[in-house]
Amino acid sequence: MTAAAPAIRQTAALAWRSIITTIRLPQAWFPALFFPLVLMAIFTASFGGAPGVVPGFPPVRGFLDFAVCGAIVQGVLIGGTSAGAAFATDIEGGFFDRLVASPISRVAILTGRLGASMALGLFQAVLFIGIAWIGGARVAGGISGFVIVLVIAVTFAAAVGGLGVFLALRTGSGEAVQGMFPLFFALLFFSSAFFPIETMTGWYAAVARVNPISYLVEAMRLEIIGGATAATTLAGIGIALGLAVITIGASALALRRRLRVAA
Amino acid sequence: MTAPAVETRDLVREFKGGIRAVDGVSLVVESGGIFGFLGPNGAGKSTTVRMLTTLLRPTGGTAMVAGHDVMADPDAVRRRIGVALQDAAIDPYMTGRELLRLQGVLHGLPRAECRARAEDLLARVGLEDAADRRVGTYSGGMRRRLDLALSLVHEPVVLFLDEPTTGLDPTSRVALWEEVRRLNAEHGTTIFLTTQYLEEADQLADRVAIIDGGRIVADGAPAALKADIGEPLLTVTAGDGSTPDDIAGVLARFGPIVPGSVEGGAGVRLPGGSSAMADAVRALDDAGVRFQAIDLAEPSLDDVFLKCTGRHLEGAGEEPPAA
Repeated sequence: MTAAAPAIRQTAALAWRSIITTIRLPQAWFPALFFPLVLMAIFTASFGGAPGVVPGFPPVRGFLDFAVCGAIVQGVLIGGTSAGAAFATDIEGGFFDRLVASPISRVAILTGRLGASMALGLFQAVLFIGIAWIGGARVAGGISGFVIVLVIAVTFAAAVGGLGVFLALRTGSGEAVQGMFPLFFALLFFSSAFFPIETMTGWYAAVARVNPISYLVEAMRLEIIGGATAATTLAGIGIALGLAVITIGASALALRRRLRVAA
Repeated sequence: MTAPAVETRDLVREFKGGIRAVDGVSLVVESGGIFGFLGPNGAGKSTTVRMLTTLLRPTGGTAMVAGHDVMADPDAVRRRIGVALQDAAIDPYMTGRELLRLQGVLHGLPRAECRARAEDLLARVGLEDAADRRVGTYSGGMRRRLDLALSLVHEPVVLFLDEPTTGLDPTSRVALWEEVRRLNAEHGTTIFLTTQYLEEADQLADRVAIIDGGRIVADGAPAALKADIGEPLLTVTAGDGSTPDDIAGVLARFGPIVPGSVEGGAGVRLPGGSSAMADAVRALDDAGVRFQAIDLAEPSLDDVFLKCTGRHLEGAGEEPPAA
């Protein structure tokens, strides 16, 4: 048995536990599925006539095709916040202490939680695209486009999960982590997640243009509505990966910092 | 010769602001016993346990647990200890069986063994019927028993229980005591138990250390500690037509009078204990001294605490847990 094998098994066990407890706690998964879908439905109903009429709106088959990736990113943000809050609850409640007092891999404490976030992100992406497909949307990029959307969604889920875990480790408080949510939401609204930058004006457009979330959503969206290039895809994957490296790195440092008080 | 279960030398934990929660604790806990770490809230019990269980780094001194240094080789310590900390740290959304199996996997047991251990431990702590219920529906006593079972999955040689019965009703408390005793007797697991209940230390522990203000103020077998305090105290209150002085006059024949030990009467240290009490009562009768109430109090760990610190132990005045 290699040295890594126990860590992998522990990661799987902790990810399984995170998934189980998420499923059993409706307030942990309901908002992450319900709100993005509601917003997607409202936007589609409100702006369904926008494509082809509003100047600057990209050519799409329907507004739903345009809206689905914004919903995925929003769902992943909500899910990541819940994951962070759950991790903080583990710290507050003592589950974290039990893990730390056990001879288990310190890395597995992180990767277990991140694995669950990635699984939830994958589920959200597949579910939302499936619902949009039922609503008439189609993936222009075909199977490969679909896979690219999933890869970006899952990588972004790891990034957001990392951010949630980082905040949990630094604050040790579920409420503090939940309290950060409006900030994430603002980040989402100041991007092209819901509307194209081309229809925005003034400083709002300027902010959206420098917001990395815009390019992440854009990369996914172009796989669905068509028009993806190697550059847009790589930008999306690169941004998701970059964010993941930053947040997971920060959470690893925060874990070390928290464990440094321990032996 | 097995290494001591716990051996600390001048263990110190200083927090920010220079507060020394643990201030030079030296302890040797031999393997195989039940050790009671007694002290009021904030005395440094939990901080000591957190250091011994590798959850908190000492700022001074050394600590060896199960033969390994908590600082130099924490993983070796973790493999050998079981930990049930205050406020049973268990996930309300999982079932007892799931949690036990998870704990087995985390400890690296083969899958089949995880299942077998879970069933075995559920039976041992009497939770078979509740095994598939979510822990959120458990009573306080059931949670503590599950917590105990979780800390035993990997068959530790030293088990740390931090205030295992705080907040439990008397029946659940006694049930947990039984489980701890059985574990110690049948499996030879060394138990390191913190408590703020005198009764608990007295009932369970074969050795007790009393901590106050981060320092050990007394350490020994409960009986020995109490014997150090002195003989049982006989107090008699005066009845119709007699005075405290009359009582004291008679009782003085049996031992040293303890001034102010009872209002409206007198008290004496009685070397003979309860057998001498009958003689004292007869002597009072013979002398025609009428008395009202008579009480023979064995020294308690609270007396030990009182003698060492000048204060009563917090909670000593509370209703004692039923035994």
